[in-house]
Amino acid sequence: MPKSALRWIVIGVVAAAALAGGAYFGLQNRKADTSPQAVAALAGLSLPDASGKEQSLAQWRGKVLVVNFWATWCAPCREEMPEFIKAQTEYGAKGLQFVGIAVDQADKVDQFAKEIGLNYPALVGGFGAMELSRTLGNELMALPFTVVVDRNGGVAHTQLGMLKPDKLQALLKQLL
Amino acid sequence: MDSTVISTGSALKPRLPSGWRWLVATCLIAASAGLAADPKLLPPEQAFRFSARALDDKTLEARFEVTDGYYLYRDKLKFVLDPGAAELVPASWPAGKIKEDQFFGKMETYRGEVSLRLPLPAAAPGKSVVLVADSQGCADAGVCYPVTRQKITLAVPDAGKGPGPLVEAVPRKKNWFN
Repeated sequence: MPKSALRWIVIGVVAAAALAGGAYFGLQNRKADTSPQAVAALAGLSLPDASGKEQSLAQWRGKVLVVNFWATWCAPCREEMPEFIKAQTEYGAKGLQFVGIAVDQADKVDQFAKEIGLNYPALVGGFGAMELSRTLGNELMALPFTVVVDRNGGVAHTQLGMLKPDKLQALLKQLL
Repeated sequence: MDSTVISTGSALKPRLPSGWRWLVATCLIAASAGLAADPKLLPPEQAFRFSARALDDKTLEARFEVTDGYYLYRDKLKFVLDPGAAELVPASWPAGKIKEDQFFGKMETYRGEVSLRLPLPAAAPGKSVVLVADSQGCADAGVCYPVTRQKITLAVPDAGKGPGPLVEAVPRKKNWFN
């Protein structure tokens, strides 16, 4: 075999290995770790809603849960919420339950919830909620961050940044 | 026949490496495309690089280097001096970029480099102070970060002495990718 061809084969193999490594790394990033402990912590989570009433996520066990970490100061969070309200209206009877967890102050959450006609619970969490989102894969602790939980309590999808309508629809079609 | 094979081989010889080159290029493009599908966001301390220095014995300079694709909200910037917890208010705010926000109305934002002069409440020649900066911003990719607190310890120069060195809150890592 000519030397130059051999050299290119070697480079090719190295590049392919790099590609595989890169792809694996990329996938790892995409499927940011959601540890079983984090999933259990989410299932057992209890937080006050905007009116101060304690709400436990366990009450929606068996439903498809869409847990959305958000804040009133976060513009992209506000932008995607009308879509969630629509989906809650449309699929609520089929077993879909949205739950918002606001990293915010209760009065601001309450005001905004009324303003946009929120039709699902808005729980209020502080830094602890942010920390929980981190263990669910939100390593940067940025917002919005959404976790989609299937009927068996398993994490079906996590999304940093807005959950686009078509992605949401695809997930719901698959899970409901 | 033999001569034909040899001649075909030698005709292919210069083409083979270019074929591999093509494959390598394809691999690299595919790899970068694969990674680009999931844009890697920076942690806030890297998206909003904070640095500071003492200009003289009664003035500090705070700087933010905002990475392309990110922006800071001007009204969320806050500086506090430690010890004493005095709020340091910039002598003047550089004009930011007005963002028409569908929820918050006109918001002044900073992109690129921002430099702010912060007068100290009292001259502190030869003292060590901690400048605490709170900042909040977002990425154009559609995520926002909560308020991020960063601290820098500065040695204030003696009266009449020039500016101290620029100190970065998060020292830059030297690696292959920057």
